[in-house]
Amino acid sequence: MSVHDFWTPFALEPFINALIIGLSLASIWLVAALGLTIIYGTMGVINMAHGEFIMLGAYSAWVMQFFIGIPWLLCLPLSFFIVGGFGWLVERGLIRHLYDRPLDTLLATWGVSLVLVQSVRLIFGGEPQYIDVPDELSTVMNLGFIHIPWMRIFIFFVSLGLVAMTLAILFKTNMGIQIRAVMQNKEMAASFGINSKRVYGLAFAFGAGLAGISGAMFSGLKTIFPDMGLGYVVEAFLVVVTGGGEVLGSLATAGIMGELFSVFSYFTNDTFGRFVLFVLIVIFLRFRPQGIFTPSMARR
Amino acid sequence: MQLSLEDVTSYYGKTPILQNIDLGVAEGHCLAVLGRNGVGKTTLVRTIMGLTTRMTGRLSIAGEDATHKETHERSSAGVGFIPQGRGILPKFSVRENILLGTFARHDQKRAIPDMCLELFPYLAENLDKRAGQLSGGQQQQLSIARALATDPKILLLDEPTEGIQPNIVQEIEATIHRLNQEVGLTLVLTEQHIKIARELAHEFVIMDRGRIVVQGPIAELTDELVEEHLTI
Repeated sequence: MSVHDFWTPFALEPFINALIIGLSLASIWLVAALGLTIIYGTMGVINMAHGEFIMLGAYSAWVMQFFIGIPWLLCLPLSFFIVGGFGWLVERGLIRHLYDRPLDTLLATWGVSLVLVQSVRLIFGGEPQYIDVPDELSTVMNLGFIHIPWMRIFIFFVSLGLVAMTLAILFKTNMGIQIRAVMQNKEMAASFGINSKRVYGLAFAFGAGLAGISGAMFSGLKTIFPDMGLGYVVEAFLVVVTGGGEVLGSLATAGIMGELFSVFSYFTNDTFGRFVLFVLIVIFLRFRPQGIFTPSMARR
Repeated sequence: MQLSLEDVTSYYGKTPILQNIDLGVAEGHCLAVLGRNGVGKTTLVRTIMGLTTRMTGRLSIAGEDATHKETHERSSAGVGFIPQGRGILPKFSVRENILLGTFARHDQKRAIPDMCLELFPYLAENLDKRAGQLSGGQQQQLSIARALATDPKILLLDEPTEGIQPNIVQEIEATIHRLNQEVGLTLVLTEQHIKIARELAHEFVIMDRGRIVVQGPIAELTDELVEEHLTI
């Protein structure tokens, strides 16, 4: 392969299309990472089952549509509550007993992920499943030289909506002030009447619910299969770690990562683009391990 | 008794830090907890707040058994906490820090009580300022205001004058005196400054190696006792 084959020369129109795809990728990574951000930021729990929560959201949507006939758009909020409820049970039954033991939490959630994948494979089989989305979202928007599927536009705006909702809950509600207090200082929060166990349970359920709604949304973009969570969780973890476990950090990081990947992929290819992106993240974390916005003293 | 501890032993991990503590504080009284560094004063306050790993013995708050209550329940039972180092949440605004205290209130009022703003005019004028930007003395005022927002019956003050400028120390002392004498709050005060303890307290205990070695009315805190147990 010659250098000429490897390197794509710059051309304005395809480059702008690449930037738009970068935004779309960013929104997918952001929504996949949002629940993980809440769980890690609030509780310091590295939830290895997050990808499988996304998978559960996708299967919830599929089951609701295939067996009950619920329209896909209605499946999205319902998946939030189904996976959120499941997350609440996992927190009550397992995670709650392992706080302050991060390695055990990591192993336990990894165990949950294995159980979920195998359970879904046993119940529904390993073959890919498909979901019907509204016809309007199956077409492509053509705006001059810009071509982008409506589904990606939909995901982009729903992602922004979910971020706005999360920020509103965190900064405009009593539950939000309790969550942020526990994030900063669990002992102090408890010393002022806040039941940190209850806050942890709700935060875990909320994070799981966000994973559920993102999985249901991704089911409209790609096929559904038991291992699908792996395809999202690596980027989700990178977004959370680089973003410092904060919602605004994740928002910025997902945007930067999506655009960098898209630009590198445009000039070279997807594999090399991913390679360069991961190398840049490793270098960034070498010098700012606390994340993009977090002051160094506040590092976990 | 507004607060009583009977044969309390308290642990960090499996290690007992406080042993066989018996004490009581009458309603409206101020108890000074004295002792050299590392004798268990802060652990005593943290034990009352439920912040040690576990405790044995019996603890009661306002006549009710609180031995098995968790920290947030003790706060709701009427214990306000002003921790060593102030414990303010630096990313929160002044307003949010004070509102945090209201989560312990039974009346569910999520508004800053008038008394907090009246006692500390600087805080009233800077409610939207980030708490991390306040000076040490202002942070201590905020810590007291936050504890008052819980609508407490008992205030635990752990070294409230530590690391504060001398001119601000007098203000803090005057505020504590007012809370005890005018508002009628019961106080447990750990303090290194003997002069402040003598001015504020009705009773005292002296601790050594996790145990109470002397206790009595503050008038009985003689220079000989200070020399024997508190001088470095």
